[in-house]
Amino acid sequence: MTSQQGTNRRDAGTLPLSGVRVIDLTWHAAGPFGTRRLADYGADVIKIERPETGDPARDMPPFYKDEPGLERSGLFLYTNLGKRSMTLNLKSERGRQIVLDLVKDADVLVESFSPRVMPSLGLDYETLSGVNPRLLMTSISNYGQTGPYRDWKATDITSYAMGGAMINTGHPEREPLHFGGHVAAFQVGAMAAAATSMHLLGVEASGEGDHLDVGALPVWMGAIDRRQSYLMGYQYGGGNSTRPYPAGALGSGTWICQDGYFMTTAGPAMFPRMMQMVGMGDLLETPEWSTPLARSAPERLDESLAVIVPWMLERTKKEIRAECQKYGVLGGPINSFDDLYNDEHLQHREFFQEIDHPTTGPIPYPGYHVKMHFVDGGELPARKRAPLLGEHTDEILRDVLGCDDAEIASLRAEGVV
Amino acid sequence: MVSTGSRRLPLEGVRILDITVVWAGPYGTQVLADWGAEIIRIESIKHFPPTTRGMMPYPDRNMPSLGGGSAQFPDHEPGKRPWNRWASFNAHARNKRSMTVDLRRPEGQEVFDRLLRISDGVMENNVPISMERVNVTWERVHEVNPRAIMIRQPAFGIDGPYKNYRTFGSHMAAVVGHYSFMGYRDEDPSMTGNTLTADAAGGAAGALAFSAGLRHREKTGEGLFIELSTAENFMTYLGDQFMDYSMNGRQPGHQGNRDPQYAPQGVYPCLGDDRWIAISVQSDEAWQALAGTVMQRPDLASDSRFATLAGRQEHHDELDVELLTWTVTQDAIEAMNLLQANNIAAGTVMAESDAYADPHMQARGFWEELTAEEVGTHLYTSTLWTAKNTPRRHRWGPPRMGEDNEYVYKELLGFSDAEYKEYEAAGHIGMDYDLDPGD
Repeated sequence: MTSQQGTNRRDAGTLPLSGVRVIDLTWHAAGPFGTRRLADYGADVIKIERPETGDPARDMPPFYKDEPGLERSGLFLYTNLGKRSMTLNLKSERGRQIVLDLVKDADVLVESFSPRVMPSLGLDYETLSGVNPRLLMTSISNYGQTGPYRDWKATDITSYAMGGAMINTGHPEREPLHFGGHVAAFQVGAMAAAATSMHLLGVEASGEGDHLDVGALPVWMGAIDRRQSYLMGYQYGGGNSTRPYPAGALGSGTWICQDGYFMTTAGPAMFPRMMQMVGMGDLLETPEWSTPLARSAPERLDESLAVIVPWMLERTKKEIRAECQKYGVLGGPINSFDDLYNDEHLQHREFFQEIDHPTTGPIPYPGYHVKMHFVDGGELPARKRAPLLGEHTDEILRDVLGCDDAEIASLRAEGVV
Repeated sequence: MVSTGSRRLPLEGVRILDITVVWAGPYGTQVLADWGAEIIRIESIKHFPPTTRGMMPYPDRNMPSLGGGSAQFPDHEPGKRPWNRWASFNAHARNKRSMTVDLRRPEGQEVFDRLLRISDGVMENNVPISMERVNVTWERVHEVNPRAIMIRQPAFGIDGPYKNYRTFGSHMAAVVGHYSFMGYRDEDPSMTGNTLTADAAGGAAGALAFSAGLRHREKTGEGLFIELSTAENFMTYLGDQFMDYSMNGRQPGHQGNRDPQYAPQGVYPCLGDDRWIAISVQSDEAWQALAGTVMQRPDLASDSRFATLAGRQEHHDELDVELLTWTVTQDAIEAMNLLQANNIAAGTVMAESDAYADPHMQARGFWEELTAEEVGTHLYTSTLWTAKNTPRRHRWGPPRMGEDNEYVYKELLGFSDAEYKEYEAAGHIGMDYDLDPGD
């Protein structure tokens, strides 16, 4: 574990999205994950939170030492790195006016409310673009801003069930299986960040704003992780996809090995490499094994298992991985978190990075999702911790909106901030 | 939101050389192509890329499907040029172009350089050793075109002990910890199956990286090299779990279909074969609606053991049985509609047939019909998002290998007919594989 790389770190003002101001009205998991990425790329993200309680993610586990508290949520601390926080009561007229004032000089507004909320607050796209015609507004929602399901409820599991590849994930004799955690939400946020960055190019070139509609259901229904390709296959005259049996395709499965589990994928076309690896190479000359069609016979599967299963049992994850590399077999070990925090590759790449926070002290966080290598040899700067609730309220009111101390005091007294 | 706009697409005029394989890289270029970028896939008739353009160049038509129930080729027929009919390629390749050149030879490298000088950058997701062999590295790209953006997206990055490990998205998910968390609560990892979502995640990160790189170039005039490890990127999707480990030393176990915040939550069987519904009870009110109104079980609704989230978590196994007893009598789609009408988060586990029939996706115009030569006319997924002032419309279907050779060599690079023929004879330009033994 290393806290910071010793390389030439760039100033935060010289990154690809430096100079882009984002008004962030997102909450929970999806939106904040997306605006975090914009902050990673250098955008100035101003996170607007409810007074007193803040982003509901502050109330979501995991908590530091398992004790709930507004500054203790691991989800919040992680998805809000590098942002500024200001509190604002959006339901008050002065609060609404402050959003409009912020929007005047902003480039982007991202929100993730239910589709009815922004119009009900008097903050619909027409109003916002009236204030700033160059504004790029990105709306993140479960089902999109239009369509019969617009106001339906969703959680991570229902988004993946309806949109994603869940029908073919898991065991054929069991119920379909979801991911752990917030994977479904995070992908929607990541796509919203891509959409925002892409359309920003068009907006900056033309000077004309736009409103993007990013919904979890469409994002997952168009996802490439089997979903999109099996949809194509259905169009091509195939049936509905199913969950395959473990080790149901030649050389493909999650095998028990000496110290855990190891996953490989081969199939009849790529199986010769694996035959070389597990000592079946001589058979490649025989008619039973010489062609992909011959290797597709069900008996070959049984014969292969008789060799592969004991071969795996006799070896460790590390040994199997080295053999796979030698023979060009595709695969990888099932790693635990203990494995990962001690992984030589991740250590070499300084993936985990220590970040200090008043609640937790310095602890390791998963690093940036990209590494940037600037032409002057510069790298990404160290990340700033997640903001405390309302930490930057005064600073933003003063520096961005030009409020004086009396105005700030009055806003505070009225409960606007 | 239906677009009424007629504006230029945001990436119109941007040209990207695409040396991506399988899914993670191609998904990023798909998203960029959908919104106007000119994506030129660089392919080679001298090298067949397994899984990208098929499992093998000329599969036996009697080969059984690899499973999953899906057709790999239109009407299960590989045809004369199977690589142009491969579902897994055609699903992502709409709006892209394809040219061929053999980068392993000096004159092929010369073609690449000439093309790079009139392009905005390069995207690739090969193991580093493959790119080093054909000399497509950042150093070379930057030297040839100092304004170029390059996204390199190998599974494990461009350095470190694992840099040349060959993996699919499913293995990356294994390596970075997803299967210590994703899996049946009562089973070991061999039952989990796998997810290829590392590839979908990689595409989102790739599209962000290239577009942000372009903005950097517009502001500074400098090129930019962004390294995107598909595995590390997918690791960030477990961020809150790593935080739990860092803060509390907790090693996750298989979560099944449950969630610490919502209970009951699960995937339950419905009437029919392989029909399922995911139900996620978000609040005490939602539980009352589910038990009392939808399931018509006042005994459950009034049972104080189930009144709170903590109570429902504690008795989750019991509640699973109660829910399942109801769902097995229900049609999966009707149950979804009924539950949602009562403000309960629920979704049918949609098979492909459900997806195409879904009224919401139809109303949003999510399916676009495209015709491609050697393939036929089919419905494709539309753009992942819509924009109020910018039109969404695919421009063309998936390109055949080498489909755009004339455009690239003659229009873009100014090759004469004679030069074009020379490159054809030399095995750079073509639409059929001309593989050396062993390739």
